[in-house]
Amino acid sequence: MVINALHILATGLGAAFLTGLLDEKRNGLAFMITLGALAFMSAVSAGWLVLFAATGAHPMDIQTAGTPPPFAIALRMGLAEAALLTLINLAGLFAAMHMGETLLARGRRAMAVLLVMVMALCGLVLTRDLFNLFVFFELIVIATGGLVLLSDDERAVSAGFKYLIVSQFISVLLLVGIVFGYHATGTLNIDGMAEQGSGAFALAFFLILIAVAAELKPFPANGWALDIYESAHPGFAALFSAAAASAALFAFDKVLAIGGAEWLPVATGIGIVSFVAGNLLALPQTNDRRLLGYSSIAQSGLILVAIGQQDILGEHYLFIAGGLLLSHAVAKAGLYWLSGFVAGRELTDWAALRQRPLLVLAFVTGIAMLSGLPPFPGFYAKWELVHLLANEGRLALLGWILFGALVEAGYLFRWFGYAIKRESAHTIDCPPDRVIPVIAALLAGWALGFAWGELSGRSNLLLVLPLLFALAFLLLEWAPAWLKNTLAIGGLSLYFLQTWQDYDPLRLIFLVIFTLGGAIIFLASFHAHGRRIGFYPSAMTMFAGMVLLLQATDSFGFFAAWELLTIGSYFLILRGKESEPHALSYIVFSLGGAFLILAGFAIAAASVVTLAPSGAVSPAPTFEIASLATLAQPVAPWVFLLLAIGFMTKTAAIGLHIWLPGAHAEAETDVSPMVSGVLLKAGLYGLFVLLMSMGRQSLYGVDLVNLMLWIGAITALLGNLMAIFQEDAKRLLAYSSIGQMGYALFGLALMNHLGWLMALMFVINHYVYKSMLFLSVGGVAKRTGTRAMYQMGGLITLMPLSFIATLVGIIAMSGVPPLSGFGGRWIFYNAIMDADTRLPMVLIFLSGPIAFLYLFRLIHTIFLGQLKDEHRRLKEAPLSIVLPQMIYVAILIGVAIFPGLILRRVDAYISQFLPDGALNWEGLTITSQYGWWNPVAIMIVVACIFLLIFGWLLFVNRKAQKVKQFNIVFSAERPYRPETTHFAWNFFAPYKKAMGFLVQPFVTRFWGAITDLLHTAGDLGRRLYNGNGQIYAFHFLIFVVVVFVSQLGM
Amino acid sequence: MVHVVMATGFLLILIGFYGALTHRNLLRMIVAFTVADTGVNVVIVSVGHMRGRSAPILDRAVAAADAVQRIIDPVPQALVLTAIVIGVGVTALMLAYAWRIYRQHRTLDIARLTALKG
Repeated sequence: MVINALHILATGLGAAFLTGLLDEKRNGLAFMITLGALAFMSAVSAGWLVLFAATGAHPMDIQTAGTPPPFAIALRMGLAEAALLTLINLAGLFAAMHMGETLLARGRRAMAVLLVMVMALCGLVLTRDLFNLFVFFELIVIATGGLVLLSDDERAVSAGFKYLIVSQFISVLLLVGIVFGYHATGTLNIDGMAEQGSGAFALAFFLILIAVAAELKPFPANGWALDIYESAHPGFAALFSAAAASAALFAFDKVLAIGGAEWLPVATGIGIVSFVAGNLLALPQTNDRRLLGYSSIAQSGLILVAIGQQDILGEHYLFIAGGLLLSHAVAKAGLYWLSGFVAGRELTDWAALRQRPLLVLAFVTGIAMLSGLPPFPGFYAKWELVHLLANEGRLALLGWILFGALVEAGYLFRWFGYAIKRESAHTIDCPPDRVIPVIAALLAGWALGFAWGELSGRSNLLLVLPLLFALAFLLLEWAPAWLKNTLAIGGLSLYFLQTWQDYDPLRLIFLVIFTLGGAIIFLASFHAHGRRIGFYPSAMTMFAGMVLLLQATDSFGFFAAWELLTIGSYFLILRGKESEPHALSYIVFSLGGAFLILAGFAIAAASVVTLAPSGAVSPAPTFEIASLATLAQPVAPWVFLLLAIGFMTKTAAIGLHIWLPGAHAEAETDVSPMVSGVLLKAGLYGLFVLLMSMGRQSLYGVDLVNLMLWIGAITALLGNLMAIFQEDAKRLLAYSSIGQMGYALFGLALMNHLGWLMALMFVINHYVYKSMLFLSVGGVAKRTGTRAMYQMGGLITLMPLSFIATLVGIIAMSGVPPLSGFGGRWIFYNAIMDADTRLPMVLIFLSGPIAFLYLFRLIHTIFLGQLKDEHRRLKEAPLSIVLPQMIYVAILIGVAIFPGLILRRVDAYISQFLPDGALNWEGLTITSQYGWWNPVAIMIVVACIFLLIFGWLLFVNRKAQKVKQFNIVFSAERPYRPETTHFAWNFFAPYKKAMGFLVQPFVTRFWGAITDLLHTAGDLGRRLYNGNGQIYAFHFLIFVVVVFVSQLGM
Repeated sequence: MVHVVMATGFLLILIGFYGALTHRNLLRMIVAFTVADTGVNVVIVSVGHMRGRSAPILDRAVAAADAVQRIIDPVPQALVLTAIVIGVGVTALMLAYAWRIYRQHRTLDIARLTALKG
């Protein structure tokens, strides 16, 4: 059924010669031959791949010249080889297609060179003969030298020459190494040499290994490669990065087998240095292709680390290294082909892609694959790799990998932000021969994601219903927004109806907020017209992540859900007009937090396994979340710390909060409540789970929960304090969220019954009033065209419903009777009475009145006071935005009257964990050990008092004169900055004088300094590459010496 | 004798490397590389040499039957032939590059071809 693999090489070579025999002018025919040959080679490789994948057959050796080695060259075809050959040949086929125009213009010789290149790459993968390996390497060098010249960029010529210089040095070392290796073993066959071991010819083996390693473009011996990446034709750069790097990695793996385990640390060392340095140096890049080149170097480094760690990866080795390698190859090929559409070479020029949503999807797929995000292979591979590393206690390596990955995600998502937010003057035209390769890479990426999900032995994320539902919106992008919105609301509601019985009361509350809560906010999305491309897939991915988080029982499901909700919300936040930098800081902080969670899970899993009574040999790289409770001493507090910091990143605890204000304030009107009202609760859920399972932990005598208590109190105080100095209404609400999350964190960290109840109360209340306030303020901002409060005023009569919502919202939030906020406060004060920490309590008490200061401004400055002239004709916010607000008003009043409806069930549930101090629910009265509370009675009392005072005020003011606009005049001078004459501007100036030192942006400066430091490091590093080919050769020699010396030391 | 040849080979390699790293003229660098290539070839031949044996050519002088005892190892010889061919190919390519660079930039100085960097 399958065709002899030798035909792959023969076809490539034969077609290359055949094109040479053709008439000079018959370029069309030559091109067809080229494509045909590459397609045939791809088909043969794919046939082998299917055979191996379906039957699990053993690798087959193919003898040439009818003789076994060492007397003739042997080739080998196995699963890995077949997969790589398929990759290489398809990359070659699509690269030829992408470069079609150039190839037809340059004629048959260029096509012959391309064929030789692809053939040589296949040979590099297949051969088991060391000298043959050298020959294929040299063929690749010569073919690369030829194909580099296909570029329109004049600088490519010098890049090619630099490459040739370094490859001369490499080939001399390789040849000398090979011949002495042969001398020592009497064979050139890799397996024959491996049998004898490299002990007898260690120096020669070192030369071979280092020469092959240099083909992987390790840092710093890679200046030439970067120049090629930058200047070559993107079609070829794709081949160079995807196919050539992959083949070289495979060759390195083969050669490494000769040396055996003692050489593995060399691979790891070269790999991790290249990974971290490549990513750091990519940070300051502005040229797209050079940046991709740095990223290729980094990714090769990461795969090299996996190769170097194969002793501990065991049976997962192919899964991990293959996942990383294929992910990188497909993504990088796709991105290079995409760069062919973009006319300018600045990263910001990629904004032109927005004209074609499909290309944006391809772009984001590539970035997600490179960053190792779900549902792509890199995600599964990273999970396994990190767990196995943790299991062996190789934590430093693990830390460096996560650090490098974070830097990489940083610059990739910064780039994506440019593409989505910047402007580009260029247009994009899509000839089919350029679109097909990109689409092929796009489809291959998703297919690989599916395959790796199947292979992972865990839940395949691409078969998980909520995520599928979210992704289905990608196929619905042609539909109008109202239709998609209806589907989204329907989907969320249906999911709730189908699953709500499966949850305990605590999770049920979160489920209600994540599904029904989301559905209510989606009502506001009906205001959007058109198709609103990109909104629904992102939003639904976020919601899918959140419901999966609640479903998750094991660490893998939990982490995958966490990453999904992070990605989805990032895309949502990025949609805001000015949100580019804020979305970036959001994703960097979130991924940083996620990596800490990943590390925490990995370390926990490693220790859970060693504790397993069954004496299981192979570590299960996943574990039940509940078994966090069983962790033992030295590990437990560290796991707790990592997870807690990870979750607190999401709840924007002080120090990790700087992403929140911009991200929430700049988001679209209906997105702000989603990411504030709903998404923040995911972090709280994580903290709930953590504290429920792990309880109190202490590290070096520091009680970590107590530390959280302090962080919560300080966050509440500073968050509120920062909120009062805002002029921008949405920013004010965003800072207020920081404060509110501080309260919730504080409540949780009290670790008593009422504290938890109060935190849950905050979960519900914060969702309701923050969503409501964001919607009403958003509606006002939509009508007035500004978010600066001093530019508003007197809107009470024009936007009465928004006013009512705001009023109810701030009453609820400030915790004064009669609304639900009071209930929260009441439980809260009871909880504090139970606790024995006094000082943080003072802080929390202090932040209460501060909250009132800023809430009051919303009413005072927006709705009361003088109506602005330009606002005279404003109308109430659109119905779709007002409707959910009215629902919230009803809910708030409902919850205020019947708090027991929800809370008494949760109260009972919490009693399982913290039995002391439960409340007593009798009829409408709630009793704690310190007192009682009857919400209905309070409601009635407050209503009576209000009506009395209100009526009295109306009565005494019945003859008052109304102040009109022109009763006040300026004293004949036009103020230079009008806002300075507005009393609401800098409203709390006196407080700022007194307490301003507390809200200095220390934290922002701290993180800014870290970012600058990384950029500076990257910038210094890139100066190594001064463009001189001789210096690059020096780099190579220095690299050889350094590796040699450090290998001696190992 | 073998060691002298081998030492000569390595010396040639070092001379070639030195030349390639110190001369800024592209043509001189290419010449230096051919010197280094020659050095490699000499080393390979010296590795395959066996004292008192003849060339690995089966003709009237050496019968196939006792060839194993009488000829030197043919593999390094074959390797050298291949290496020479490849070396010529790469040298030709480098020369073509040098010509093209000169046509484009009117210079053969490697230190001036630094448009791409960082």
